[in-house]
Amino acid sequence: MGLHLVIGNKNYSSWSMRPWIALKAAGIPFDETLIPFDAPDFKARLAKISGTGKVPVLIDGDAHVWESLAILEYAAEKFPQARLWPTDSAARAHARAIANEMHAGFLPLRRHLPMNMQRPAETRHLTSEAAVNVKRVDAMWSDCRARFGKGGPFLFGTFTAADAMYAPIVSRFHTYGVEGSAPARAYMEAVMALPAWKEWETAALKEEWVVADDEVDWPEVKRVKS
Amino acid sequence: MGLHLVIGNKNYSSWSLRPWIALRVANIPFDETVIPLYEPESPGQILKFSPAGKVPILIDGDVRVWESLAILEYLAERFPAAGLWPKDAAARAHARAIAHEMHAGFAALRSECSMNMWRPPAKRDLSGDAKADVKRIDDIWSGARARFAADGPFLFGAFSAADAMYAPVVSRFHTYAIDVGPESRAYMGAVMALPAWREWFGAALKEPWVMRNNEVDWPEVKRIQA
Repeated sequence: MGLHLVIGNKNYSSWSMRPWIALKAAGIPFDETLIPFDAPDFKARLAKISGTGKVPVLIDGDAHVWESLAILEYAAEKFPQARLWPTDSAARAHARAIANEMHAGFLPLRRHLPMNMQRPAETRHLTSEAAVNVKRVDAMWSDCRARFGKGGPFLFGTFTAADAMYAPIVSRFHTYGVEGSAPARAYMEAVMALPAWKEWETAALKEEWVVADDEVDWPEVKRVKS
Repeated sequence: MGLHLVIGNKNYSSWSLRPWIALRVANIPFDETVIPLYEPESPGQILKFSPAGKVPILIDGDVRVWESLAILEYLAERFPAAGLWPKDAAARAHARAIAHEMHAGFAALRSECSMNMWRPPAKRDLSGDAKADVKRIDDIWSGARARFAADGPFLFGAFSAADAMYAPVVSRFHTYAIDVGPESRAYMGAVMALPAWREWFGAALKEPWVMRNNEVDWPEVKRIQA
């Protein structure tokens, strides 16, 4: 029995995207079940498989792992050849620090710029708190690219769990026309060029569910042409 | 050159307690610097150590790690003999899931029941959201105790990084006299009986710095005598 990942809507579920894109980019096979947020039995189904009743959840035999970053740690241990963390211990420590900073932080940015892949890219004015988050993320990406990014286009050269944690931020920056420095923009391009990104995005664009709270132009629902 | 941990006030800094108590329980030697939070010079002092501008920060030679859980992962790797994660893979996955759940969650509980070690234990009215957090944590603790803790009094038997992550929650539950089940009460007793806990608690009581936003009885500041 293989890995089984349970996720929410691809258009909106930023937490679901993290383990999904990591498993895909690493070539680790898995089955997926998508439970849309508006499904009447969403809570009942998740309560049985996830400690928090939230997506994403990874099921591997008897092991049930929730929380996106705990899933990434689990996959990194189980598939060491996938190198989901940098091999150098100082780089790995840095990668975990920024991954955890994402996991617990940037609330103003997350609230103000919800992930919404179907929305056409249009600039949204930032609150001052969100602007502080943007500045920090840009500085962090640029710093990683300069210090650790020699071996490739990602934060630590090759694709790692840290990139997976920031993939939904790349989507938000793109969707809301956030201005970034040159290294940050080049990094975003590299992430959005991943075949795994394209696959997720294509599926997201086909979804028909609308979550009003995540539509910043509400009552208008703007959609890119797919 | 040994490990150096930069932390905030022991009375109030719940994030700082986590790596500190893990290091002490595991008998790993380290130096510490305390930077009292929310003083005029604090932000500048912290930024000298970390670009994220937050405590705790662990310095190990050229390596600087921030975010409490990233520090715990670093220590678990660097000192494998300390056994900071459970040895069994399924138990370890569970430990990481609940550690990350703590790291990114329980916002209502954290804002209504700030860590404040010198406050004499007394009940406080909680919102529905905070009560839901309490129930979930009670379930997490009693669930881990029932499934994984045959070998000792902590969540996974022996003390692990998961206990370090929940240590400040033990303090909050104690300070605000929160009702939990017998399994969780016994667990709290075990954590508070740790010599490392007593050492931190003793130092917290002696601190002079008062943070009004964390004093729920403000303008009164209730203090246990050191």
